[in-house]
Amino acid sequence: MRYVVGVGDMKIGRAGDILVTHGLGSCLGLMLYDPVVKVGGMLHAMLPLSSVNPQKAESNPFMFVDTGVRLLFKEMYAFGGEKNRMKVKAVGCSQPADKNELFRIGERNYTILRKLLWKNSVLLEAEDIGGTISRTVFFEISSGRTVIVSAGNERLL
Amino acid sequence: MAINFLIVDDSSVMRSMIAKALQMSGIDLGAIHQAGNGKEGLDKLDEHVVDLAIVDITMPVMNGEEMIDCMRSRSDTNQIPVIVISNEGSEARIERLKEKKAWFIHKPFTPERIRDVINELVGRQNA
Repeated sequence: MRYVVGVGDMKIGRAGDILVTHGLGSCLGLMLYDPVVKVGGMLHAMLPLSSVNPQKAESNPFMFVDTGVRLLFKEMYAFGGEKNRMKVKAVGCSQPADKNELFRIGERNYTILRKLLWKNSVLLEAEDIGGTISRTVFFEISSGRTVIVSAGNERLL
Repeated sequence: MAINFLIVDDSSVMRSMIAKALQMSGIDLGAIHQAGNGKEGLDKLDEHVVDLAIVDITMPVMNGEEMIDCMRSRSDTNQIPVIVISNEGSEARIERLKEKKAWFIHKPFTPERIRDVINELVGRQNA
């Protein structure tokens, strides 16, 4: 089954599923994968910190990197994922050239992610971060393959 | 095989960060020894079996480059791989360190960078 992960959204998939998220600009796309139980999760978070709007964070924690990443890990554990087996990949956090990036959202999203991972002793398996491009990510749960499409180019992460 | 590390940096915070990065890296860790400058680092090398040294450059008493020179001049330490983690900007100095068979990681570093360099080094040692 193919599931689209929207902006400020998160989905968990099992073997046979493909998770897709479109148009990652300054947003963070985070993929977690446990190859043993073949469970994967994808987050598409917009903003770094939930403290800017706690009400919104309560109704939609996946909008924010700090609350979204924590919940993504929790969901993965609920589906049988284990932290010591987890493969973590990050995509996005760019600074789109056509937007006024006064607040450097992409950079701050990445900084908060790095802080969370460091605090929880988690390393990234791979990343495709920054630049000015927009990215679409296809995440195949059966294999853990993560494919990024941007500006007509396709590459494996 | 568990790898024994020596971390040499005058900042205890930096030593702790590097030690944590090693623990996160998934590498089979043995002992992690620490020293605050090059001289203390050489003393640790006398006291312990060290498989890999991670060394800062700018330190009091004896800097990292002097420590690496001493290591390379001694038969018991000249084969120990060295990774220099530093904010050194001088290309000439970096080249000089590479000639002394040291690997270089720029500060600020990511824990993934440390993992990748160590994995590459360990792979070369085992090859």
